[in-house]
Amino acid sequence: MIDEEENLRTISEINEKIKRGDVVVLTAEEMIKLVESSGLEVAAKEVDVVTTGTFGAMCSSGVFLNFGHSDPPIKMTRCWLNDVPVYKGLAAVDGYLGASSISETRGIEYGGGHVIEDLVSGKEVVLRAESYGTDCYPRRHIETVITIDDLNQAVLVNPRNCYQRYDAATNSSDRVLYTYMGTLLPNYGNVTFSGAGQLNPLCKDPNYETIGFGTRIFLGGGIGYIVGEGTQHSPESGYGTLMVKGDLKQMSSRYLRGASFHRYGPTLYVGIGIPIPIINIRVAKSAAMKDDEIFVNIRDFAVPSRPDLRPVVKRVSYAELRSGKVYLGDKSVPSSSLSSYKMAREISEVLKKWISEGMFLLTEPLEPLPRKGRLKPLEIKRRELKVGDIMSRNVIMAKPTDDVKSAAAKIIEKGIDHLPVIDDEGKLIGIVTSWDLAKAIAYNKSRLEEIMTRKVITAFENESIDVVVRRMAQHNISGVPVVDRMNRVIGILTTDDISRKIVGGRNVI
Amino acid sequence: MKVKLIYSREVVEKPILANVVLRAGVPINILEARVNAQKGELIVSILADEDKIKEVLNLFREAGVQVQEFAETLRIDWDKCIACGACVSPCPTGALRFKEDWSIKFDDEKCIACKICVTACPVRAISIP
Repeated sequence: MIDEEENLRTISEINEKIKRGDVVVLTAEEMIKLVESSGLEVAAKEVDVVTTGTFGAMCSSGVFLNFGHSDPPIKMTRCWLNDVPVYKGLAAVDGYLGASSISETRGIEYGGGHVIEDLVSGKEVVLRAESYGTDCYPRRHIETVITIDDLNQAVLVNPRNCYQRYDAATNSSDRVLYTYMGTLLPNYGNVTFSGAGQLNPLCKDPNYETIGFGTRIFLGGGIGYIVGEGTQHSPESGYGTLMVKGDLKQMSSRYLRGASFHRYGPTLYVGIGIPIPIINIRVAKSAAMKDDEIFVNIRDFAVPSRPDLRPVVKRVSYAELRSGKVYLGDKSVPSSSLSSYKMAREISEVLKKWISEGMFLLTEPLEPLPRKGRLKPLEIKRRELKVGDIMSRNVIMAKPTDDVKSAAAKIIEKGIDHLPVIDDEGKLIGIVTSWDLAKAIAYNKSRLEEIMTRKVITAFENESIDVVVRRMAQHNISGVPVVDRMNRVIGILTTDDISRKIVGGRNVI
Repeated sequence: MKVKLIYSREVVEKPILANVVLRAGVPINILEARVNAQKGELIVSILADEDKIKEVLNLFREAGVQVQEFAETLRIDWDKCIACGACVSPCPTGALRFKEDWSIKFDDEKCIACKICVTACPVRAISIP
């Protein structure tokens, strides 16, 4: 029986080999092949370091900037780079530009991620700032052009990067959804996923035996460091994250790319590679994990709930996701990634080259990443208005066999705009508005079932008003029947109810 | 081969495409259609060899339809492309796919110009010429 924990080599021994030039480095893909052909023990004895890589959209990224002082100087209280707001709750000329900060002139097509890419590529960027003026910093306005070389510091500090794994997405609704998981076609039309799977750094050391505080890494084409666990680090459920930093001035726009997800917003594609020193058999084993051993959930983004409450449609391996089609029931659904496997592979190869050529030494982690902890949701502790609070419970309804004339009379007499149509069991089967009645006149129809709108947009009693208002705006309608889980009508909510009953969030009735 | 067929007001109501299919015995795939009382525009893909395509195009011309050859459906800026794959699964025809080395391959023949990839691309590498 082999001892999985028996120490095979120390990090300082590996570094000696790197300096001597006889270190054995494989990319994670090569390690998988070696283990398949020669077995785990041989591979673990032979290989000193396995390199990993990932290149994906990482919104929790950004850069600390120091602009230097102008003369006369300014205590910048508001600041923009190419019209993208920079966080200015710091000292006079320090700022933080977040990747998902949105341009005030170009909207979500251009944001912090793009500015970071522009800076890294050496492009000129317009700096604009305002202040109230102080005795020591009298200037109140500044506008100039800068490049990365003009900055004293440009330090990439990303609070959450490099997810260990990431849930995949699909869409059961009947419309296209534009999400941070990309374009999701209706009726389970496709599946999108993120993460490099078998090349993904944290997947290759899931016990955090070698990756920890202070680990030197490939970051955006330069050298970076892990400064701790990332925000939302959730190791107990297998969704660890990293906080990383590195000097932006060393980085390259090949590995830092501004991007924008349609109708979602800007972000930054970040390239990260982490070396895994093969200190024991257990680490060798996890470093050789394959796509078919790494599992994630496919979640339904049609349900507008928080990420962990979106229904799980299926649990799949990265192998299945990467194959290009996933079976949902007996339906074959196209799947594709949002992070670049090609770039992930390239990063693992670049890092391998750096180590083999003696340009990159490994570091002993100062402390391991936390292995305990789970994600907490944000509870809403104040009372929030729900549909049930303001909907009308006294709903005037009609039957499909009713004639158009009586329906028109009802609408006029009761002063309503929406007439839900129900079957004998009280279940919603259609809706009639004055627009539908116009149709009846135009086409000379007499029964409601001939003219009613059958595809009814509805709401549930416990949904928040916010979500339902957005739904009404999306479908360009002014009212929704409120139904129970059996699709029986229990109320109706109209824009009229909302404007009459809510004033500044306060219920006046 | 992809062509754009422009129907004038005089011929817009005639079943020309169906007649051409019957006479030439060649399948024609309609990729995009915009037809109203004034005018019609179809983008079609004709699946046949060169001679047959010539014959088909002539049949359209004889019937009074203007024929424009369609050079390019999408333009992809390969310098911008990061090979993420965000365009691959939304593509309904498999015109955008991964190659062996995980870079992206575009097959113009399969593209029906639905444009879903244009907005799906997070780095805006895809445009309509």
